[in-house]
Amino acid sequence: MNLTQTSFALALALCLAAALAALALPRRTRPAVAGALTAAAGACAVVSGAAAVAGQGWSAWYPELLPLLGVRLALDPLGGVFLAVTGAVAVCAAIYGIGYTRHGLAGRGVQAALPLFVAAMLLVPAAAGVGTFLVAWELMAITSLLLVVAEHHRRAAAGEAGQWYAVMTHLGFAAILAGLAALAAHAGGDAFEQIRQAAISPVAASLIFLATGAGFASKAGIVPLHVWLPRAHPEAPSQVSALMSAAMVNMGVYGILRVGLDLLGGGPAWWWLLVLGAGAASAVYGILHAAVSADLKRLLGHSTTENMGLVLIGVGAAGFFAASGSRALAALALVAALLHVINHSAFKTLLFLAAGSVLHATGTRDLDALGGLRERMPYTTALFALGALAASALPPGNGFVSEWLLLQSLVNALPEGGVRHAVTMPLAVGAIALTAGVAIATFVKAFGVGFLAKPRGEGAATAHESPPSMLAGMLLAAAACAGLALAPTLLLPYLAETAGGVIGAPAAVTGEVTLRLGGIASTISPLLIACWLAAALVLVLALLRVFAARRARREARLWDCGAGPMTARMEYTATSFAEPLGRVFDNVLRPESDIDVIPAKESAYIVERVRYRARVADRIERRAYEPVLAAFAAAGRAATRLANGSVHRYLAYGFYTLTGTLILLAVIA
Amino acid sequence: MVSLWQKIRKTGRVAEPPPPREDGAAPAAAAELAGSVQIRHVDAGSCNGCELEIASAFGPVYDAERYGARLVASPRHADALLVTGPVTRNMEVALRRTYEAVPQPRLVIALGDCARNCGVFAGAYGVAGAVGDVVPVDVEVPGCPPEPEAIVSALRGLTGR
Repeated sequence: MNLTQTSFALALALCLAAALAALALPRRTRPAVAGALTAAAGACAVVSGAAAVAGQGWSAWYPELLPLLGVRLALDPLGGVFLAVTGAVAVCAAIYGIGYTRHGLAGRGVQAALPLFVAAMLLVPAAAGVGTFLVAWELMAITSLLLVVAEHHRRAAAGEAGQWYAVMTHLGFAAILAGLAALAAHAGGDAFEQIRQAAISPVAASLIFLATGAGFASKAGIVPLHVWLPRAHPEAPSQVSALMSAAMVNMGVYGILRVGLDLLGGGPAWWWLLVLGAGAASAVYGILHAAVSADLKRLLGHSTTENMGLVLIGVGAAGFFAASGSRALAALALVAALLHVINHSAFKTLLFLAAGSVLHATGTRDLDALGGLRERMPYTTALFALGALAASALPPGNGFVSEWLLLQSLVNALPEGGVRHAVTMPLAVGAIALTAGVAIATFVKAFGVGFLAKPRGEGAATAHESPPSMLAGMLLAAAACAGLALAPTLLLPYLAETAGGVIGAPAAVTGEVTLRLGGIASTISPLLIACWLAAALVLVLALLRVFAARRARREARLWDCGAGPMTARMEYTATSFAEPLGRVFDNVLRPESDIDVIPAKESAYIVERVRYRARVADRIERRAYEPVLAAFAAAGRAATRLANGSVHRYLAYGFYTLTGTLILLAVIA
Repeated sequence: MVSLWQKIRKTGRVAEPPPPREDGAAPAAAAELAGSVQIRHVDAGSCNGCELEIASAFGPVYDAERYGARLVASPRHADALLVTGPVTRNMEVALRRTYEAVPQPRLVIALGDCARNCGVFAGAYGVAGAVGDVVPVDVEVPGCPPEPEAIVSALRGLTGR
């Protein structure tokens, strides 16, 4: 019994204990006990994942636990990375959840479903058999669905989001089920070990990859299967949003890596170009929608699509390089993707928890009605600023390191490759650059409009700082962000080993302070960059002090065009800040606006009221989903004619169906 | 682009030749500005006659910018205020605040008869007074409205060019 196994078992046991405690305990103590137990489970999962990454593998088969197939569990370094990330997110979210209990969130159902959701997410990367994987995946989907609709009696939108999520996640599940079932059938066994050794024909392998890839991509919120994500993530309670957006979407990436690179052993280059293309499209589409979104949590949801897109660019590049023979580069791209998964989880946890604090304090997620939170919520503001810095991928934030690694792997692929490299790589680099640029505008908007200046709404004016448990959850996530930003070198050798193991190449990244890339001349040193930036900042401030002191100072009124006093109505709102971006990317976003001019009764030339409405609808949803939904609705309406309430008719249906089936069977047999 | 160059070549120089500089006592603050005066225009209640002449003074014919005077869009960027019209009650506070927003050293030019002594609007119910009653005035330009030459000449007095 090694450390991996012990702490993994302990984590599952603690999750179960948390769920039972949530059911048994009275309302007063329920959130604290369940939260503490879940956080402990998360910590155990981190230990287990770290041990697995460090090389303490483990596998087990419990044939009696599940009929026919049994439960197969195993932890290798790749699974360990995702297990540790999920555990870390769970720690932050569970501690945060102790204080985030308004509006019935302390109820039995929600408090018991959360630890089960965490347990399911811990089981997915540990599953080592098709049956176990599918059960864990479905458990993850159902528990998260319960949590999404937790507040449906307060907000109708949560119910609608739940419907979208339920349908999308189960369509995805059906695709994964079909793919993995076919895989198991071709391999002649359920265990991943058997599947790896089996020889699968290229056509079957491609079909399996496409089916499972679609399912996993829908979980990761990849365009065009992303439509549920910006609905469900904002409507869930905030700690659940953090768990979904920072941990659950990772499982989609894990699935693609596990099935594509591990179980199917790589496959042809076009699979990975497809993944790369979908990733690039998601990155750009996601961040553009985030940029024009005025709902804080929806913005973060779109940003999740963007970041998963960036990760899939890395994954696609890794598979593509591996398929075209340059294994060292493939390992580097995979390291970048894995590091971005970890970085994204860290800052997205922080941002969603901070957004939850804002929602808790003001009762609104609408950036247009926020503003001026800096004075009343200083800690939340500082923490959100840190998360925003990380999410905008600027140094010294942690997102910068992984995007830099990703760009290095793409840029350095050009000299080696042929035509496909020459076409794909510049496009991918361009997509990443565009994404990074728009991401900066997005997070400047989210932070500047949401937290600075004057409050624009009742809720923002009477905001209050969050309770200590919520701040503690956010602080942990912030510490993770800072650690990843300053010392990714502590983590990267292990990730490089992991990626090397998956690809079959030596470790791509080495170095303790300065990162050196295998076979590439570029180096980077995040710690030194941070030190230099801090030194430059101090220098500039000192110079300003010295030179400004030589001139006479005078108090002056803030310039308000002489009219004053400045009101909150003069500020930038999220909508007005994003309006130019909406115009620039008009071709993609198609913003819609409506102007109703209502004239006075006396004369058509005297305007009584002007109503202006602007909205950016999801074009993919409108073009691809709405016709399908309309067709279903039409079919449903047509089918109501079959059910006119006559019992005789229903009995006849039953009779004819039975007879028809029997005839069919008789003919076939 | 080519047609633009052709137009420039064909049109040639339209600015009037610079008139001889009048000698006059410039305010002490003007010397500190060293020949470059950034000006913020404030309409304190003008009939827009003076505005037309200002536009003309900064147009291609009189071209006040060649003497170092320039119109800017905020009092924070300005060295001098160019105030036109009698100061109406609605603009009194705004003018005072605009004056306070100009960094030192600062100058005020009262342009036109209304700015100097309320002109035909003297004693009207909406008028708070002449510019000099609200903020200290350094230079006055008479005329209703003053001719562009007079405006340019006053500005040259400040820039010293």
